Parts: sequence; structure tokens; C-alpha cells
Amino acid sequence: MTQHPRNAAKETRLTAGTPILFVDRVSKTFPGVIALDDVSLNVRAGEVNALVGENGAGKSTLIKLMSGNYKPDGGEITVGGHRLEATPADAHRAGIATIHQESHLVPNMTVAENIMLGHWPARYGIINGREQMRVARAAIARVAPDLSADTLAHRLSPAEGQLVEIARAISENSRVLIMDEPTTSLSGREIDQLFAVVRELKAQGMGIVFVSHWLEEVFAIADRVTVLRDGRLIGSEPAAALDPGKVIQMMVGRGVAQVTTSAHPLGDTVLKVSNLIRTGVVDDVSLAVRAGEIVTLAGLVGAGRTELANCIFGVDPYETGVVEMAGQRLRPGNPRAAIDAGIGLVPEDRRNQALITNLSVSTNATLAVLDQIAPHGVLSAKREAEALAVATQSVKVKMASADVPISTLSGGNQQKVVLGRWLARNPKLLILDEPTKGIDIGSKAEINEIIVRLAREGTAILLISSEMPEVLSLSDRVLVMRSGRIVGEIKRENLSAEVVIALATSG
Amino acid sequence: MTGQKTHAEQPESARTEGNSRVLDAIQSLGLLGVILIGGLLLSFASPVFFSRINIENLLFASTIIAVVAMGQAFVILVAGIDLAVGAVLALASVLGVVLATKAGLPVGLAALLALAAGTGIGLINGLAVTVLRLPALIATLAMMSITRGVAYLISDGRNIAPIPSVYVDIQGSRLFGVPMVIILTVLLGVLAHFVLTRTRFGREIYATGGNAVAARLAGIRTNRVIVIAYMISGFAAALGGLMITARLEAGAATAGFGYELTVISAVVIGGVSLFGGEGRIMGVLLGVILLGLVQNAVNLLNVPPNYDYVVSGAVIAAAATLDVYRRRLVESGLRRRTMTIRREKAQSRDAAQTRDSAQSAPPTRTGQT
Repeated sequence: MTQHPRNAAKETRLTAGTPILFVDRVSKTFPGVIALDDVSLNVRAGEVNALVGENGAGKSTLIKLMSGNYKPDGGEITVGGHRLEATPADAHRAGIATIHQESHLVPNMTVAENIMLGHWPARYGIINGREQMRVARAAIARVAPDLSADTLAHRLSPAEGQLVEIARAISENSRVLIMDEPTTSLSGREIDQLFAVVRELKAQGMGIVFVSHWLEEVFAIADRVTVLRDGRLIGSEPAAALDPGKVIQMMVGRGVAQVTTSAHPLGDTVLKVSNLIRTGVVDDVSLAVRAGEIVTLAGLVGAGRTELANCIFGVDPYETGVVEMAGQRLRPGNPRAAIDAGIGLVPEDRRNQALITNLSVSTNATLAVLDQIAPHGVLSAKREAEALAVATQSVKVKMASADVPISTLSGGNQQKVVLGRWLARNPKLLILDEPTKGIDIGSKAEINEIIVRLAREGTAILLISSEMPEVLSLSDRVLVMRSGRIVGEIKRENLSAEVVIALATSG
Repeated sequence: MTGQKTHAEQPESARTEGNSRVLDAIQSLGLLGVILIGGLLLSFASPVFFSRINIENLLFASTIIAVVAMGQAFVILVAGIDLAVGAVLALASVLGVVLATKAGLPVGLAALLALAAGTGIGLINGLAVTVLRLPALIATLAMMSITRGVAYLISDGRNIAPIPSVYVDIQGSRLFGVPMVIILTVLLGVLAHFVLTRTRFGREIYATGGNAVAARLAGIRTNRVIVIAYMISGFAAALGGLMITARLEAGAATAGFGYELTVISAVVIGGVSLFGGEGRIMGVLLGVILLGLVQNAVNLLNVPPNYDYVVSGAVIAAAATLDVYRRRLVESGLRRRTMTIRREKAQSRDAAQTRDSAQSAPPTRTGQT
């Protein structure tokens, strides 16, 4: 057996700036989509290379190619002269570790077992527990000294889980660490902690690929910014030579206008929630939303905002409290009743809670109006076409045809379909849970525009958002939640990021 | 600066979309191809195969499995599974005869009660899966055992004969020379296809099977959809029971042993995803016919009875493998075409641009000379 490149590299410490991983003119297609078209890229030792681009630009595909999950249709990826085979195992052997958006930990194994996953120290197939602990502890000590190696993985927070995956990369002596939107589910403090770890790894000569939608983060951590658009490489330049405005322009190929709402007349109270309690998650919440009003629930992830929305919409039951729509009390735990009363919900997790991915755009768009498009239970093609028109045209969905599976659309367009699904019902109240999460900048602006327009037309909006610019620009009123309670109400005229953050985090 | 231009994606995607319909058709035709080739080979091996009697027998023998499989398809489409169908078939067979001959009820009423019993067992299965949240495999496995047991209790383990003559009459009747049973099965197939593709309930089935959470959040009463799917399966299995009574000329508690596995194989070979949300009735019927063809071949070629199961199993495995391979082929074909179209477009665009710049270039060139 010849010596594997990784082992060779372990001995010679790489100096910063030396390219480790070469992506050479790779292309990749899927049915109906060209995900990557002739893209080249280097990952250098001691450098954080931020990979940015709108959804559908090809970032995820590129990552899956580098991590051996996909085989390129054209071009090749080499690591230290070794041509990467399209298996995750080969990528690991070559020293490429990937932290995917979704956790890749085995929930019922301990932190130590997860760190050593697949290369447990063993003799004759019997695992040496002490050696496993030693190596695992050494790796944890560098990223999360406070974490116990005995904890079961399913007890970890998303942030801790990520740190464990980084520890795994360290224990494998990886030379390239790829992080796919690692900050999505992290709080501000956790992000700082993650960045500190990333900087340390960088100082030790690791090459890091960092994917993020957040340009602030990109400029906080990256040495180099690589922009993809429509599957093509637009540019890869030192971060110092760029600024957020330039990057946005490279990403979208055009400038983006910011939407803001202004004071406007409000209608009658549409939604009224009184003393709602769901033990452990929602603690005695009362609120009201008026027609035409955009009320935003701000707060940290885990403050109980999604849980409150789920109670109002009837997804989850609650012990006490009353939810009223236009004076009518809603039956708890019954989404159908909520929908009939005129509520629509755009849930936080588009893929798992909103889309039926293998079905067509048309079916997905008309899913909430089956009663209207199927009089006497038989579908009417004409009514379906009408409902589809209402659902997709008012939100400007870009698609080849309404018959393609919705999974072939970009995230932004998928989200527009989910939003449009409710517009076909003329809802009195829309609950939007992180409606612009994980979608590209262009679509973000369009969705914000739609939200403002709907409010102008008299729809009551209950918005949940963790994006401060969105909170500041869209809200008529902000309710800040912390530990399941509403801890503050801020009117539009008093609204500032400082006030929101102070209420969300203090005490 | 080609790279700076946003790609115009619409037309090329539209082209691939048009093709994907064709590919879709090929996908369901693939199984038909396997059946036709199998039939062709068989007709060389045995002169009897292409006789009208043999083909008719093949289809006739497939009708019971076809009816039960169509019911099972509804359950598998909502990501469930119904192992009780074989036992339900036996219970219905016994009940239909016992209620008519021993309890003295009119034959029609007895048959209706047998169908109701099957539907009721489906209801219990559905409630166990949705309200009690038992895994479908466990719930219907338990129900399979209970139902078979009840069938034995009622019949005391004996075949109950004679049966009312109506059964035999219906089975023997023909319309335009085609056995009534085959015509009825085809009509049921048309009905099931219509329900799945053209009704609100069909949409709700696919949505629930595709993503139950999303379906519920869109206002679909997913639990009710699932329960009804199990009831349809129970009803279909009971109908299969009445059909088998006619064929055996007895109410038999031992009927339909192992049917659940045959039926599930047929449904899955027919392209219905065990994960739910994907599949068509046409595919299910083709799956049933393929299994019937194998059985037919075993009979015609005088395969020793002890090899029977081995041959059937091998063919099921081969058909499934072929199907998976064909799907991959279709997918990669689609991928390659997308690439080519996109490349062609890029080339023609680049060509157009060079033409444009060539047109604006002449003044400079003349200036240089």
C-alpha cells in the first residue's frame, strides 16, 4: 500500500497560503438543473474561504462534491496529488471533514463515541474504551472544554453538536474543514464561540471552507470570499478587497432595494390571545393583532415564539388560555379549525413542515384549497388552474412549469409557493415563522415586499423573525419573548435594535 | 463578460419538462416491457402460452391478488402497511358462507356483512395506527393473527361447503365472452385510478404519504385519510375473500395464507414507494400480472413443485433490480440532456456575442490599418 497523502502531510506542517485542495473545472447536473458548471477553486492552508451565493447557486452541490458525496460529471478534485474518489470515506482519508447543515451525530452514542465514529480504537474488534476517551477528550479540550465526553449526543444543543463534529475533524487530523451554514441555528454568543474555534484551527494551518448567508459573519471570519451564481464561479477574492455591497452585487448581479413599512391606519382586532399557557414552553401569553398590522415576535431561538405560533394555529395543544379570531373562540389543537377561521401558517422548517417535495408545484400550491378546487370531492382542472394562478402569480414564482416537482425550485421560490398557498384562501391572519430563513437575498426582498403589501390590503400579520433588519423595517409593533413569556412591547416609533436585544437577552 | 449574465433558465427547463412526461410514461411502461419480453420467451418455450385459454386463466387467476393489491396500495401510499389482508380475506370467505348457509341470511346480505367486517377490521387497524400510534407493522400483524383466529373459531378450521350457487354463477358468467370477474377487476382498477388522480381524497392520500406534517399544516385531516386508507384495504381484502369462496367453492379459514407478502410484493414491484406518496394503480396492476406470469410459467414449464417458491422469489428480486436500474438510467438520461441543452445554449449565446462584438469591431480594425 502506498502512503496516503494525508499521512504524508501530517509530517510536513503546511505553511499558510499553500493550496491543499484543488477543485478543477468540475460540473454537476441533476434532472432539470445544472447545479455546477465548470467551477474551479483552491482551499489554502490557514485560510478561511467563505463560499457565498444565493440559494440554488451551487454551494451545497460544491460542498457535497468536495466531501465525496457526489461524483462530478466533469472535472476533478485533488488533494495533495490524490484524485478524490466520490465516497465520503475517501474524503475522510484524504483529510477533508465536513460539517453539514443537518447534524451527523448518532443520537444514542456518547460524545466520545461520536468523535471516534468509524475509527474507534479497537483490537480484534473490541473497543478500547480508555483509549477512546483519551483521544476524544483531547479533541474536545480544544473546542469545548466544558463538554462532558459521556453525554449522549441527543442531549446536545445544536451548537454543542457542531463543536463535537469539529472535534471529530480534529481527532481525524483533517486538513480541510468544510462548514455548511454552521451559524444558522446558533445564538450570537454561540457564534462568537464557534468563530474563536475556527480562528484557532486556522492558526494551526487548517484550510476552512465556510458557507453562510450572512455577510456580516462572512466579513467577520473570512480571508477570502468566493461567490457562486447559477452554478458558475463569479469570483474568488481576498476579503480585504471586497465589501458587503460588492459581494451582494456579485451574488445577485444587481443591487437590492430595502423595503420599509410606514405608519398606516389599522383595522379591527383580528386575533386575540388571552393567558395562553403550554407548560414548559409558553408561559401566560396574551396578545392581539389588528387588521393591517404587522406584529413581530422577536427574541432568541428557543424563546417560545414558534411554540406560541403552533398553539395559535392548533398544531400543538395548550392547557389554559383562549385564542379568538374575530371574537370567535378557536378549538385548541386543530389546524383545520384555525384555517377555517381564516388563519394561514408559513412554518419555520420549509422542507419538513410545508412542502411535499415529490409532488408538483401545482399540487403544493393548491394544497390548502382542496375544498375549493374539488367541489363534491372531484378535482376541477379549471378551478385548480385558477387557484394556482392566485397562489403563484401574486407572489411571482419563477418556474419552468407548474408540473415540475417543487424540489426543483430554489429555496426562495419554494417559500413563495408556501406563502402563495395561503393567499388563495384570502386569510385574515397570516402567521409567518422566519419566512426568509435560508433563502437568497433577492427573494428575501421580494417576500418582505409581499408581507408589507398584504398588510396594506388589510391582512393581519404575526411575524416571527430573528433577522434584525427585517424586524426593524417591517414591524408596526414588536413583542419580545424570553423563556416563553412576552417581556416587552415596543411601538414602531421607539423601535431600535438595542432595545430589542436588551429585552431579549437580559435578566 | 458571460459570467456576469444571469442565465435564462425558463425555456430549457421547459424542454426537459416536456421530456420528463415521456420519461414518466416509459417508467410505467418499463414493467410492461418486462412482461412482454417474459411472455415472448414463454411463448417460445411453451406453445400453450399464447392460447386464449391460457391468457384468460392467467388474468383470471390474478384477479384476487389484483383486488387486494389495489386496496393495499392505498395503505402503502400513506406510508403504512397492512399485513392483515390475507387473514381478512379468509374471515370474509368464512363469514359470507356461514351467514348465508348456517344463519340463514339472504346471500347478498351475508356478503355485505362480510365486506363490512373487512372494512371494520381496516377501521380498527387505522385507529390503532393513528390514535394509539402503534407502528403499522405491529398493529396489522396483531390484527392478522386475531382475524385468522376468529376465522378458525367460526369455521372450526373446516372448509364450509356447499356454498350458495350465486357465487359460482357470478364467477362463471361472461360479458362479450370475457369472464365477468376480469371485467369487474378492471372496473375497480379504473375507479381506484380515478380516486387517486382526480379526487380531493386522492390528493390527500399523496400529500399525507409524501409529508404528513406538511399535509396537516395545510389543513388536511391526515389521521382520517390514513384510517380511510386502511378501511379501503380491509374492504378490498374482504372482496378478495368473496372471490376466493367462489373459486374454492367453500368458505375457507385457511385461504389466503401468505397473501399479504404476495400482495405487498406486487404493489412494490408496481412502483409504489414503501415510504409513501409515490406510485400509481396502473403500476400495481402490472406488478400483479408479472407475478401471475411467473406462476403461469412455473406451471407451463413443469417446474417441480419444490422449486416453485425459489423461482418466484428469484423473479421478484430480478424484476425489482431491473426496475431500480431502469430508473437510474432514466434519471441519468435526463441529467445528460439538461447538460447538453445548457451547453448548446451557452455556446450559441457566446457565438452571438462574438458576432455582436465582431460587428462593432470593424471600425477599429480599419483604423489600425
